[in-house]
Amino acid sequence: MSFRWFNVRQELTSRARVVLTVMAFLLPLGAWSLVSYVPVIWGPMIKVTESGDVTWLQPGQLMDRHEFAAQVDKVIAEGKTPPAGKRSNPIFLPAPHEVARALYTAFTAKPVLKGDKWLHESLWTSIRTIFWGFVISSAIGVPIGILCGAFISISRLTEPFVDFVRYMPAPAFGALMVAVFGIHLEPKIAIIVIGTFFQQVLVVANTVRKVDGGLLEAAQTLGAGRRQLVLRVLLPASLPDLYNDLRILLGWAWTYLVVAEVVGVSSGITFFINQQAKYRNFDNVYAAILIIGFIGLMTDIGLGFIGRRLFPWKDSRPSRLRNFIVRLFSARYLCAFSDKPIVTKA
Amino acid sequence: MRLRNILSSLALCGAFAASVSAAPLKVAFSDWPGWTAYQIAAEKGWFKEAGVDVELLWFEYGPSMEAYAAGQVDAVMVTNGDALVTTATGGKNIAIMLTDYSNGNDMIVARPGIESLKDMKGKKAGIEVGFVEHLLLLNGLKKAGLTEADVELVPTPTNQTPQVLASGQVDAIGAWQPNSGEALKAVPGSKAIYTSADEPGLIYDCVVVTPQSLAQHRAEWVKFVSVWDKVVAYLADPKTKADGIKIMAARAGVDPSEYAAFLSGTRFLTLTESSKLLSTPTKGFDSVAGSSKIADEFNVKNEVYKEPQDIPGSYDASITAEALKL
Repeated sequence: MSFRWFNVRQELTSRARVVLTVMAFLLPLGAWSLVSYVPVIWGPMIKVTESGDVTWLQPGQLMDRHEFAAQVDKVIAEGKTPPAGKRSNPIFLPAPHEVARALYTAFTAKPVLKGDKWLHESLWTSIRTIFWGFVISSAIGVPIGILCGAFISISRLTEPFVDFVRYMPAPAFGALMVAVFGIHLEPKIAIIVIGTFFQQVLVVANTVRKVDGGLLEAAQTLGAGRRQLVLRVLLPASLPDLYNDLRILLGWAWTYLVVAEVVGVSSGITFFINQQAKYRNFDNVYAAILIIGFIGLMTDIGLGFIGRRLFPWKDSRPSRLRNFIVRLFSARYLCAFSDKPIVTKA
Repeated sequence: MRLRNILSSLALCGAFAASVSAAPLKVAFSDWPGWTAYQIAAEKGWFKEAGVDVELLWFEYGPSMEAYAAGQVDAVMVTNGDALVTTATGGKNIAIMLTDYSNGNDMIVARPGIESLKDMKGKKAGIEVGFVEHLLLLNGLKKAGLTEADVELVPTPTNQTPQVLASGQVDAIGAWQPNSGEALKAVPGSKAIYTSADEPGLIYDCVVVTPQSLAQHRAEWVKFVSVWDKVVAYLADPKTKADGIKIMAARAGVDPSEYAAFLSGTRFLTLTESSKLLSTPTKGFDSVAGSSKIADEFNVKNEVYKEPQDIPGSYDASITAEALKL
């Protein structure tokens, strides 16, 4: 079986796919557990259990292994009681169960102050920030990108400037956005728009440009006008790839969340991460990062699932979801969702 | 008749404007024990009792000053040195009260083997250049008979100082809590060789407001300030202290026992003390005028800004005096 796994570009059985996907998560988790629970593997620190005659050592303190050994030798040479301790990992690598516990406590801890938020409410704030940032960016960026991909004139007029702004770091606009949009959610959304929009225009334009020129020629010989070339050929042909672009760009927007949320009033999941990191409660930090990863992964799986069913000319397996949508907007108006392939790629 | 109509409608407009100006006082604050203490007043409803509508807005320290400079809040809580920097960079402000002075929370932490600042000769110090710990270090070096030239400064962001000290790349770091405490924990045997407790008044923490808001809402600011003595008393009373710390720790998002450790490094100031420190200028650290003058000279010398600031214009002692009479 493993022999088959290494056939170049050959599809795997569905069982093998599932096994590999589960392994993709179990392997890192296993490595993490191994390093955490078997300190001999790495354990560069010593956690002091008894301070002996060394006055400045306190039980629970972490100390470099070699320095600790040197200290023990020194104290023994002086004929005093040496300190004792056990191998341990640095503070920035908490064990899996500590992170799991932090995750549980973070969600179940009741807010102490009036008007403060539960963790899931903070998360919801973050998701809303991302959502609006991404929607606003896409509402402007996708049409511009499509026009850039279709018309070289618009591309030359737009892309050099977009390329120029793209290199400006979005966080640098923080103070400016606060001055313009105030201190609440708006400047954060603006930072996400700035971080996403310019990449989006270029990525979308490139995807539209990749549409096979043969399709355009064929449509032209059939008498298609400019409008039809864009709406009936370029758009449907690039739609599946555009959909995937947006999936990737949504992930991109998430990476801007942490820099966006430190602007203005502290809010969302970022405040939790920053504050816990300041107090070096790294188990909480990992828990929060895992939550973001989990939300991202779930969104992506969901969008992937929908995407596979939306575009029959990419994946022709029958789909109830697609039938439903096709019935919803009758196929005449939205050829993009037609059940029958209208364009077949060679 | 017509004139009277106009007059009465004008009066209505005036009443409307007055009700609009009754919007809450927006106060930005961040994680420092002297400032999270104001959360107690909000939590206990003391602002309402005093008849003032206050909206406390929770920020990171840097962004709180940005929001102030952008005109998005009416007041912000900063150190007296940073208040000068904010004014110099376009966020003109007036200190109306002091919450506390740092009494040990700001530290120079050195690795084992370095017992005092004298041992720092020819050594490296990780510090955020031009900021408050830099000033603390210079102040200490002067007392130890050294100058800035005797120590090599390694520019280090304050929140990374624990890791930098632990890495062994520097011999000492300068930071405030919680970073300074974390540095002490990160390097066993390390020691605070100089702290703000060695020079009380080097760092005053204050509430600064916009000149405009102070002029328009003077009476409300007096009420805002008047609540402070209750907060100080609440934290001084052994019966209520634990509850106070619980509220402050909840604001910071950490365990109360962890937060309690920072209180001893913060010397809370009552309104009477605050009023005296603001109203009697001296040359040394025992007044805001003196402390700010020294910070101002330091800022100009380190090119944090170019022109010396107007120190007497940077604070207003009359607000605390009036609050005491309420």
